[in-house]
Amino acid sequence: MGDAVLTQFFSGFSLVAILIIAALGLAVIFGVAGVINMAHGEFIMVGAYVASVVQSGLGGNTFWSIPICFVAVGLLGLVVERTVIRGLYDRPLETLLATWGVSLILIVVIKMIFGTELHYVGSPEMLQGGFPAPGNLPFPWYRLFLILLSILLLIATFVLFFRTKFGLAVRAVRRNRSMSEAMGINTARVDMLIFAYGSGLAGVAGAVLAPIKTVSPTMGFPYAVDSFMVLVLGGVGNLMGVPVGAAIIGEGETILAFLFNSVIGKLLVFLLIVLVIRIVPRGIFGYQERTLGHRR
Amino acid sequence: MTTASAELGRARFTLRREPMFPLWSIFGVAAVVAILATYPLYGTEYVMNLLGMFVCFSIFALSISLIWGFAGILSLGQAIYFGMGAYFIALSLKLSYAAENPTRYGGTIPDYMEWNGLTEVPAIMAPLMHIEVAIVCLLFFPTLLAFIFGVITFKRHIYGVYCAVITLAEALILQEFIIEYQAYTGGFNGITDYETYNNMYFLWVILAVAVLLFGTSRLLTHSRIGTVLKSVRDNDVRAEFNGYEVANYRIFVFCFASMMAAIAGGLYAAWMGIVSHLDTGPILSIEGVIWAAVGGRATVIGPFIGTFLVKGAEFFLSQQLAWAWQLVMGLLFIFVVKFMPEGIMGTIGKSIAMGRQRRAYAESQDAYQSGPMAVVARLRAAFTDGNRGFMDNLLGRSGRRD
Amino acid sequence: MKINRRRFLKTAALTGTAAAFPYFYTQKFAKAEESDEIKVGILHSLSGTIAIIERSLHNAELMAIEEINAAGGVMGGKKLVPVVEDPQSVVRVFRQKAKKLLLQDKVVAVLGCYTSASRQSVLPEFENNNGILLYPTLYEAQECSYNCFYTGAVPNQQLDDFAPWVIDKFGPRHYLIGANYIYPKETNREWKALLDNFGGETVAEEYAPLGHTEFATNINKIASLQPDVVFSTLVGDQIVAFYKQFKQFGITAEDIPICTPITTEQEIKGMGPEYALGHYTSFNYFQSVDSPENADFVSRYKATYGEDEVTNAVMEAAYFQTYFLAQALDKTGSTDADALITEGLPGQEFQAPQGKVKIDEKNHHTYLWARIGQAREDGQFDIVWKSEDWIRPDPWVDLLYPDRDCDFTDPRVIERIKSGDRDRSGTIEI
Repeated sequence: MGDAVLTQFFSGFSLVAILIIAALGLAVIFGVAGVINMAHGEFIMVGAYVASVVQSGLGGNTFWSIPICFVAVGLLGLVVERTVIRGLYDRPLETLLATWGVSLILIVVIKMIFGTELHYVGSPEMLQGGFPAPGNLPFPWYRLFLILLSILLLIATFVLFFRTKFGLAVRAVRRNRSMSEAMGINTARVDMLIFAYGSGLAGVAGAVLAPIKTVSPTMGFPYAVDSFMVLVLGGVGNLMGVPVGAAIIGEGETILAFLFNSVIGKLLVFLLIVLVIRIVPRGIFGYQERTLGHRR
Repeated sequence: MTTASAELGRARFTLRREPMFPLWSIFGVAAVVAILATYPLYGTEYVMNLLGMFVCFSIFALSISLIWGFAGILSLGQAIYFGMGAYFIALSLKLSYAAENPTRYGGTIPDYMEWNGLTEVPAIMAPLMHIEVAIVCLLFFPTLLAFIFGVITFKRHIYGVYCAVITLAEALILQEFIIEYQAYTGGFNGITDYETYNNMYFLWVILAVAVLLFGTSRLLTHSRIGTVLKSVRDNDVRAEFNGYEVANYRIFVFCFASMMAAIAGGLYAAWMGIVSHLDTGPILSIEGVIWAAVGGRATVIGPFIGTFLVKGAEFFLSQQLAWAWQLVMGLLFIFVVKFMPEGIMGTIGKSIAMGRQRRAYAESQDAYQSGPMAVVARLRAAFTDGNRGFMDNLLGRSGRRD
Repeated sequence: MKINRRRFLKTAALTGTAAAFPYFYTQKFAKAEESDEIKVGILHSLSGTIAIIERSLHNAELMAIEEINAAGGVMGGKKLVPVVEDPQSVVRVFRQKAKKLLLQDKVVAVLGCYTSASRQSVLPEFENNNGILLYPTLYEAQECSYNCFYTGAVPNQQLDDFAPWVIDKFGPRHYLIGANYIYPKETNREWKALLDNFGGETVAEEYAPLGHTEFATNINKIASLQPDVVFSTLVGDQIVAFYKQFKQFGITAEDIPICTPITTEQEIKGMGPEYALGHYTSFNYFQSVDSPENADFVSRYKATYGEDEVTNAVMEAAYFQTYFLAQALDKTGSTDADALITEGLPGQEFQAPQGKVKIDEKNHHTYLWARIGQAREDGQFDIVWKSEDWIRPDPWVDLLYPDRDCDFTDPRVIERIKSGDRDRSGTIEI
């Protein structure tokens, strides 16, 4: 029994990692640009399809598809930003509808290219199998890879935001858009690049999640749902919210699922989320805006 | 035009006094209601079924436009209340149907309860068997829930994007609960196979309720409360500084809209004969937002037009263009958001108002410049043009003070 | 605003035109259809989550209709015309599209639905309007509607032989995992009854929320409980996620085999064959069935829809049920629903890819063959066991409902349906 609990704890970490990878792109876009990207799940889906093309068409594995997906979906995000989102930044609620439209279009386009059936993406040769971990199951290499990758992505994003000049601009825009504009920051460019970066992260999520889950045109929505939960629980506007929200949901769900069952585990976590967002509506790491101007 | 002045222009436009029920609107509503109400006499049952559903969805979209277009609260969980209403009625009809007609398992309780191992209707649900109880529940509980949520949210100044995301999460969670507690809710399969009210008389009921709610909404939005709500939407801080308890207005309209959504849900359940978890989820909520946005969210008639247009197009296109109808829908949403942010009716209303304003202005200019009628025209403008001050009109000044 | 005459006339004219529009519109619709065509409804989701599987059923039915038409049509040269609708994986839309097919298009029958949820949502419509639904999916049974013909397997055709075979081969301790809805719950109830009967035991029974694709916890429990067999009734993309994660956590088919009545070639293609390798599925049809009809069917399907495509059991049922309909139309020579239901369809036989199949004369279900397949490296199944004869369908399984049966030839049932009772099921107590 003790062994099983240990294994459970570890596998909980891998779920946390999956949630972080899926939610990070959404959090970045929402946190900085203030855009609720309803097409986030579909960006992940596109990433997964790109990964399947990389695998079947170019013969590359997941390591190849990570950068390719990042660039490809990042470019897609760039295009979407330039054509759809641009000009809607002062109407954040409407971006939600526009990106919902984008998600419908992406599903149809992918369906027309690849068909409706499930696609197959394998994991790389060297990450197959597992290593003996404390507990009663070997721990899959691939899940360890996911955990490392999630940490890596978090660090990369932190470095980008807090150690680069661009990051300074991003934070300035986040705090006070018109003031940073007055200081000479090209806010439109910041928005565009952040949208592309967030989309690229979604692409990476698609690339690495495809080997453990399914690839189909409708695979995106559940990921978008999970990401939203992480976001509302952890708090929007602060990157720390993502790992914390993911940790609470991921570990909570796995531990409760082990103690009771998956159904009850999921429901208890959901109840917790409702309670938290009703008590701290901006999430655990929510950022209280200090503006007294026009609130939306 | 910068945002601020556009904002101001909009505020000015919406604050313009209009008659509560202009003649054309009474005519128009009467004509549409007459067409819909008599449709079953010459139309097909299938289209009648669709029309009834569209009206139910229109009421739902109207509830969204009330809180979004008139009070600036975007809820992506409005289907929570729609779904609650639908489930109350569906449960009630199912319970009474099962009691009279033995199910395929031979019992007298709903079939989904039987295959989930229940042997009798849970005591807490038993009273729902009476439709009166269900109707009272439908009116009471969604409103209560909206009140609780509203107090927690609006008293703490949470709205805008946060409100949208939170309500979205709540809709998702309710949906999960319904799927998991299948012994009580029918789960993934939903509730179906009960006495359905799918006939001309019930269509009249739906239409009557729609007209009633339409009229009430029009009254509400064109009354003092409506004016305050619009000011809250356009600049809540200023409204607060002017001494209005902003949160209370928001809570009130939120509760009212939720009750409206629940009523729409109840009618829908009785009309369609099927209710499922999808009727409480975020996708229906978002669809409702889209209907309101396409039609014109800051108008009362807009949601009806938007729903009929989008839903109608969906049903038409999914037959004619099965592979691409979602593509067309996606493009439509982007188009509306980008180029018609006020929606169809909003855009029409705006251009009419602007034309009127321009005409009045031109008239006053002409009059000012050309001789003896000048004084009369200016006097007339002074009493009729509410957009400029009395003295401005009288003296022919532009009257812009911003 | 004052009412002057011009304004009044204008409004009235507009109103009149608008009011008349729907009339003309429906007139256009009401035109009588060509008499040498017979409309058949096809109701499978082409968009939404279930489209993954329903698309293939849709394809198989269209292919069958084409073949039938190419071979001279039905009822002496009339063509079958498919009316395709997309119910978008939403039960509400299923219901409406069914209504449309029945009332507007006046189709002779509808081939459609995949999930139990969608079937249950449309059945009231078929019963109220006396339509015919041909339903190709394996399902939990315990149902028989006058207006529905079930050409997929019922539990007694998939499980009755599977359970003793599994217990005999791998051992008695079973771990049951399923999606949290009606089909898995009912199938597990039956499986537990079979385990009781043949000396097996259930070590745990767990359900995952629909759409839940994270199974580390369940796999951990499996590892600590060490059952002999995992019996899975997960559905859709859950299947793919579960098999993948099962292997990734280092459990192979040699350690603990997954036995299931639902995993097809389609899902194996989606997960990659290495993940399904060695696991067992019980079905009436596999693509690897060795018969001339099947070789024909598979090659035609691939020629029509692409070499990469795989066939599966549900779609095979979708294929042959179209032939059932054509033969029934030939037999009765009319499109009358009651004639087709009472005379045409019952007893209809067809040499299907899986072998000879027949609609039972009494209960609207279908005689099918039982097979057990073991997944191979190439994503196909080795058929390791096959029933000696076709198996009679029993919607009310004897083990659970010994005193209940479904019989549309029973005088009580005939009486009930003739009397116009709302209850159109053929269930009787014996």
